[in-house]
Order: sequence, then C-alpha cells, then structure tokens
Amino acid sequence: MPSATTELIGRLEKSVASALVGKPAVVRLAVVGLLARGHLLIEDVPGVGKTTLAAALARSIGAAFQRIQFTSDMLPSDILGVSIWDPEKHDFVFKPGPLFTNIVLADEINRTTPKTQSSLLEAMNETQVSLDHSTYPLPRPFMVLATQNPLEYEGTHPLPESQLDRFLLRIRIGYPGADDEKAILRSGMTMPSDGVAPVVSVEDVLHLQGLAERVRADESVLDYVMRLVAATRTSPMLTLGVSPRGSLALLRAARAHALADGRDFLVPDDVKRLAVPALAHRVLVRARGFGNDGAHRVGGAAGPDATDAEAVVAAIVQDIPVPR
Amino acid sequence: MTARANRWLLIALYVLVVDGLVALYLGGMLGVVAATLVSVGIVGSLWQARVREKLGRHTSVPAILAAGLSAIDLLYFAATVLDGLVHLMLFILLYKLFTRVTLRDARDIGFLCFFMLVAAAPGTLDVSFLFVFILFMFTATAFLILRHLLVESQAGGLLHAAAIDRLRPRDVMTLSLAGTAATLVITALLFFVIPRVGQAALPLRGKTGRMISGFSETVALGSFGEIELDNSVAMRVRLPDEPIDGERIPDLRWRGIALDHFDGTTWTREDRKLGAVRRPHNGTFQIARPRGTGRFLRQEIYLEALGTSVLFAAPRALSMTIKTDTLIVDGAAAIWAPPGLTSAQYTVESELEPPGPRRGPPFRVWLDPVERDRYLQLPSVAPRVAALGREIAAGSRDDYEAAARLTDHLATKYRYTTVLARTTDLPPVEEFLFARRSGNCEYFAAALAVMLRTLDIPARVVTGFQRGQWNPYGGYFMVRLLDAHSWVEAWIEGTGWVTFDPSPRGAPLTFSGNLPISFYLDALRLRWYRYVVNWSLYDQIRVAGKARQTAMAWKPSRAWLAGPVNVPRSWIAVAVLAAGAAAAVYWGRARPPQRPTAARTPPRFYARALRALARRGFRPSPGETAREFMQRASGAVPAWAEPLELLTADYERARFGGTDVARVDRR
Repeated sequence: MPSATTELIGRLEKSVASALVGKPAVVRLAVVGLLARGHLLIEDVPGVGKTTLAAALARSIGAAFQRIQFTSDMLPSDILGVSIWDPEKHDFVFKPGPLFTNIVLADEINRTTPKTQSSLLEAMNETQVSLDHSTYPLPRPFMVLATQNPLEYEGTHPLPESQLDRFLLRIRIGYPGADDEKAILRSGMTMPSDGVAPVVSVEDVLHLQGLAERVRADESVLDYVMRLVAATRTSPMLTLGVSPRGSLALLRAARAHALADGRDFLVPDDVKRLAVPALAHRVLVRARGFGNDGAHRVGGAAGPDATDAEAVVAAIVQDIPVPR
Repeated sequence: MTARANRWLLIALYVLVVDGLVALYLGGMLGVVAATLVSVGIVGSLWQARVREKLGRHTSVPAILAAGLSAIDLLYFAATVLDGLVHLMLFILLYKLFTRVTLRDARDIGFLCFFMLVAAAPGTLDVSFLFVFILFMFTATAFLILRHLLVESQAGGLLHAAAIDRLRPRDVMTLSLAGTAATLVITALLFFVIPRVGQAALPLRGKTGRMISGFSETVALGSFGEIELDNSVAMRVRLPDEPIDGERIPDLRWRGIALDHFDGTTWTREDRKLGAVRRPHNGTFQIARPRGTGRFLRQEIYLEALGTSVLFAAPRALSMTIKTDTLIVDGAAAIWAPPGLTSAQYTVESELEPPGPRRGPPFRVWLDPVERDRYLQLPSVAPRVAALGREIAAGSRDDYEAAARLTDHLATKYRYTTVLARTTDLPPVEEFLFARRSGNCEYFAAALAVMLRTLDIPARVVTGFQRGQWNPYGGYFMVRLLDAHSWVEAWIEGTGWVTFDPSPRGAPLTFSGNLPISFYLDALRLRWYRYVVNWSLYDQIRVAGKARQTAMAWKPSRAWLAGPVNVPRSWIAVAVLAAGAAAAVYWGRARPPQRPTAARTPPRFYARALRALARRGFRPSPGETAREFMQRASGAVPAWAEPLELLTADYERARFGGTDVARVDRR
C-alpha cells in the first residue's frame, strides 16, 4: 500500500471536511461512494449540509459539478438533454442536459415524477444516456448525489425499493454537534464550499477507483458478507432481504472503505461499518411488531420507515459472528 | 455445535480400546475370561456418567486401591513382570474410561491403547496382528485429528465454529486413510531396506507350552474317547523346485521321530543317543548321504510353534538350512532343533523313497546287531498275534513282500476310526486286531510293527504328519494338526529302512471348511512369515542382487531404442509431447481457481494473545471484530492500547491481508 494513495485520500477527505464541519464519518462515506464508483442517496432534513457535501466533493476533485433542483413539473429532457433541429446541418443535434458532468447533485429527487426519476436512474446505472436511437456516454468519473427529505410527504413521489437499489449507499448527515455548530456560526460562512479548491485530479480519482477494485478480499470475509446477506433474507423482521446486487454493493463499498483506511485488504470491520449504509435501503421492514419504538421514529408516518430498516440491519450485523 | 465431533471422538476412542484389547488377546496376554471381563467393563463405561456421579469426590480411592493390588499382583500372582504391568494397565484403562471428562482424559486413554499394542507385540508373530495394527494406525490418526480440532475449539472458541460445523466424517476418514497409507508405505520401505541384523523378534513370550492333540513324541495306546481334530495349521511346506502342483508327488509325508520301544501299551524312544551337528560355513547342515535311489525334493518349511523341537521333513532328509548353530540328529534319523526355537523356517533337501519293491541294491547297507536287537524288542505278546502275522506273511519270498502283505491286510481288512472305545480287557494291540478291528493310525502302526517284529523283521513306529492340503493360491501344502500321523519303517535287508503305511487313511483327510477365502488368508499368512517375520539380511542381499541383475539386464534395451528400428525416436518424441500436453491440460483443469491462501484459523500469536486476555476476563463476543474488541479492551485498560493496536494490525495483515503468517508471527 503506497503511502501516496493514503495521502491522496487523506487530502481529499480533509478538503471535504473543511466545508462540512464535524462530520468525518459522513465525509468518509462520501469518499467511499466516490472510490467505489457508486452513487449516494443523502436522506435528511433540509439545512444540514447536503448540498455543501456534494459541492465540496466536486470541487475537491476539480471535476465538473451540476446541481439539478428537481420539481414536480420536470421532464426527462430537462436533465438528459434534447435534440434540436439544426437548419444548417439539416439534422437534429443533441444538446446535452445538466447530467453531462462529473458530479451531479440531484436535489430533492423525490419531488419529481417517476418518469423523470427513472430516466435519471437509468443514466446512473449505465453511465450513459440513450436518446433518439443513439447513446451518449457520460463523462468519468460520474457520480450522483441525490438528496431527499424524509419528512415531507405532501406532493412527493417516494422512490420505490427497486430504484433505491441503484444507490450504493444511503447516508444521513444529522445535526452537527453543539461545538461544531457554534464554530459554523462563528465563521459566518454562507456557502462554505465556495472556498474549497481542487486537491486531487480527476485522473487521481480514476486511479483510486481502479485501486479500490483490486483490494484483496479473503475467503472468510466473503463468507462473512454471505452470512450477513443470508441473515437479511431469513430475518423475521424483514419482508424483503438483500439482493445479490446488494451483496455486491456491500463488498464494493467495503473495498473502497479499506482503501480509504490505508489497507489493500479487507477486514471484517469494513463490511460491518458499511453494512447499514449499503444495505438498509434495500430491505423492507415487516409492517407490524417491529419498529414501534417511538424514539427511533423521526417522521409521523404510520408504516415502518427508513430508521427501522437501519435498526434491523444494525441488529443483524451485531448478531452475525465475524471471522477470526 | 461440537457435539458431533465429540461423538466421533468417542467412537474412535472406543475402537482404539477394543483394538488394544484384541491385540492383547492375540498376543496371549489375556485369557478368554479376562478378556470378557474387561470387555464387560468397557461396555459398562459407556454409561460412565452415572458411575462418576455416584463416585463423587472419592475418585482417588479406587486408584489407591489399585496401586496396592497391583503391587501384590506383581509380587505374587503375575506370571511375569510384563503380565503384572498389563493387569495394571488394564485397570488404569477401565478407571480412566469410567472417570473420563476432558479431552486430556481421552488422550491418556489413547496412550494406554498404544501401550496395550506395544505390550502385545512381542507375544505374537501372527499376521492378524498386522490387521490390528493397521486398524490402530487408522483410528489413532482420526482420533488425533478430531482431538486436535476439539482442543483448538475449546481454547477460547478460537477455531472457527463453522469449521467444525463443516467438518464431514468423510474428510476425517480420507485424511486418516491417507496418513495411515503414507506411514505404512514409509515404514515398509524402511523395514525392507534397513539391514536386518540381530534378533528379528524379541522372543519374550513365545507360545512354548502348547501341547496339542496332534503330534506327540510317544504313541500311547489304550486311551479311549473321541480324538478331537484340531484344524489349525501346524506347518506350511513350499516346494520351490516343483513348478506347478505338489500334489502330483506320491506318498509325501513329513517325518518327525521314530519310536523303537514298545511296552505293551506305549511306544517310546528308548535310544537316547543324540549326535550334534555343528553348523558348517555355508550354513547347510549335512544329515545323511544320498543313495541315488530316488528323486530329490527341496522343501521350504514354515513350522508353527508346536511345543516340540522336532523338525519335520520328507524322508530321507539329506541336508537342512536353518538359522541355528547346531542341530541334533538321533540314531533313528530324527532331527531336533536346539531348545528355545519357538517357530522355525528352514529348507530341507530330501531323497524320496522310490515306490514299489526294490531288489539288487546299488550299495551295501547293514544294521548293527545291537540296533537290530533294539528294533526287534517286544513285550510278551499273545501267541495269536504272532500267528496272525505268520498266517498273512506265509509264502512271501522276502521280508519286503511279507511287510507289504501285512500292510495290505491291515489297510483292507481293518477300519479307520477316531472313535476309540474299549470293548474288552485285552492288551490294546490284541483288542485292535481281534476284537474291535478298528482304530486310528497309531493302532495300525503299532499292530504292524508288532507283527513285523514277531516275524523277525526289525521295525519302528514313526510319527509325523501326512501330506496335508495343497493351497493353490500360495502354492504350498497346509499341514494341519489333524494331519498328524504315524506309520512304520521296516528294515529290509539290502535296501534299508522302508516306509509302510498300514492306515486306510491313505488319501489325505481334507479339512471340511474349504472356503477359497481361507486359502487366501493362509497364503497371506505364509507371506507374512516369509517376508516380514523371517525377513533377514540374507533376503535383503538376495533381493538387492536380483535388482542389480534386472538393472543390468535392462541396459541392452537402451541400445534397442537407438538401434536400427526406424520410427521409435520420432514416435517417442511425439508420445512425450502428447503426454506433456495431456498433463498440462490435466493440471490446468484440475487446479482450482486461484484462491487466497490465507490461514483458515487465527494466527498463533493472536490466539495466544486472546488466551492471555481471556484469563483477564476479556473475551470477544461472536459478532465483535478484532478492532472493536481491541477498542473495548483498550477502553478498559488504557495501558494496553498501543500494544493491542499493533497486535490487531498484525493480526489483520496476517489473517486477511494474505501476508505470510509465519513471518508476522515471528515479530
């Protein structure tokens, strides 16, 4: 493990952390998502720094950054682009939409219609856009940071589980600690990500992504992943367990985590640490009997919600024996 | 979770115990009664938990008791020290079986079983010990594997619980079989190659006392009852120079000793004159000189321990090769080994008697007058016995014809039986000839010898074995104890001693249980004696010489390869290439996809550290990773933080990082 890699990742994390104060774990997850070529779903209340995180990440790697504010009247062409008749060439010319960039902040993704959502998700999955019988590749690296507000249900179109599956990780930012919040107040920053300068190049990111894929996974760690996933499938608390795509995502994220931690091999801790962000949004909690503990509930919805799923996955992770 | 492995361990343990017991029984260390008692104890120990409960804390009481008893046993009762030790060992075994709790107890019992085998080893030369030994090797290997796994899993739950879960009986079996096979192959190689000097087997407890219903050194008439036929094999006779079938040779007998004195009921050996023959330089004892009258027959004889030192051979033995310093030959041409030889292998060269009457001898033979008198000695015999002899022999031209007539008369007019009932108060010979008219070979021989002596023809009763049964698989005669036989030798003027066998039991009595498997087993037994028990330096030299000869003989074939044959070179090249390609394909396919080669279990240094931590009350829970555990322990004892962090990093590198465990281990 060359120290250059560690140093590179350290610089990136430090740069993002300078904008998002007091949230090193969240920063780590964002970097993991980037290194694992994944997309992030950031789910939290407004005003905790979702946009700041996305912008700081984009600026730190010196990549192109676009923010798309999703609304209910948006059409797929608004994000993918549109073909326009060019009278000089006597042909339709593709005019790329805001999606053609490295880092996309898809703000409040649940506000738009399922049609627009699915066009975005297809682009995320295939890293390309298909339009009018031709495909247009998206630039590399390509990463979507989608945010959604779990509290407001009025006029939203919540993403179905099958589409949530496309996101590598679902993370929560949460309120900053008292000291950190005071520090934010003191600095009086309005747009903290403005001050972030690029610290690593796009080529570095691509290189790191390549390294992350080659992180060594011992047979026993693979077995551990298998046990975790199998447990979600048989758990009486869940109606839907993790799909093979989910176990792949967990392994991919865990590898990136190992790299970010300065190792070229996986340890069970990587898997354990990533299990909740990588798996919780892929399971369905059984409606009754579990998750009635009001302390976990953020919203006032009647059914089980995201926090229940996280609690169940966390419980499963605590129960499964780790390899020694 | 480990209950399954525990059950297998218990099964393996009991197989070992039973195997050890069988070994002791085979080695003659235990009688039937003792073996049964111990077996009952062993079976009873399966329910040992209840006994242990009853015994409670007083488990040491029987141990102290046993120490005292075994001291008394050693001093007063046991035949030898070894017997006393065996008794003590069996007691400890039973005691351990009844009180066993831990894996350490299981190990102790395993050791005891090993010692049982060791104690039994000098007592037997039988091939069945080989099977007992192989079973022991196999079971012991499986036992050790299982015990090791269980020990590892007990020491703080470090071994993958899943690993023991995944364990299949087949895997353990395969591993044990492979281990046993490899050990046996290596042992066999060493056995055959290491020079065999000195005593092959420690004759600690040869079966010397076994006096069997078969062969005896006297012939006593007048007893009654039914003779029990013992079908165990007394000796095996190979005829190395006879290419196919030894059964074609007529009138084969294995002569033991000749009896010259009859007191009315018993034939004994009066002439105690013994001549010792010293071992000549070439190792072959000269016993008699050839006469040139009959065919020569070489016999390789494997003699079981019979409780006698008589060596048997086809009459007339000329020379004998045997591993002793002296042989003893008596006046009646019987051959004796020096005392102490319990079972023997030897080679004899004999000159067989030609069949039929012989006249005009090519050389002069004569009988010393003193000896002649001895062979004519008779107790007072009823006149009608002599009269019967005269009547039958009347009109004979010579002694040979007279003897042949008497033999023929007895063989046709009298019945052979093994059921001997006394019907009158007459002397045995008279009763046989005139009242019962049936008897076993001893009566026939005695009657013929008595009648010959009344006719003034010197005669003696000979005891030995009849030919026995041909074993087609091994190519040798199996001579059983029930083949024990007696016949008569008569002195024919001008010819010498001639064999007459008056028993109607001319055709060899065949043993009823003629299963091919018993032939196979007996053939295996012969090979066991030949190649293992009696494997000697001489054999090694012979085999080495043969190997050298073969190698020398092979050399010219290389010339053939390069020689005038047109194709071979290119063909051979093609064949080699094809074989190489096939091997490459095979290996390419057979090798499983590259798997990480990290250790399946925690590295030793980490296991040690965990044990140390466990003693201080820190144990990782199943769902706790090494790091979480490290943080918890460091949180409790801050002084441990730094070493623990280093330790955990090393552990992770060794366990998951694919780093050489041994290298990290050393640090």
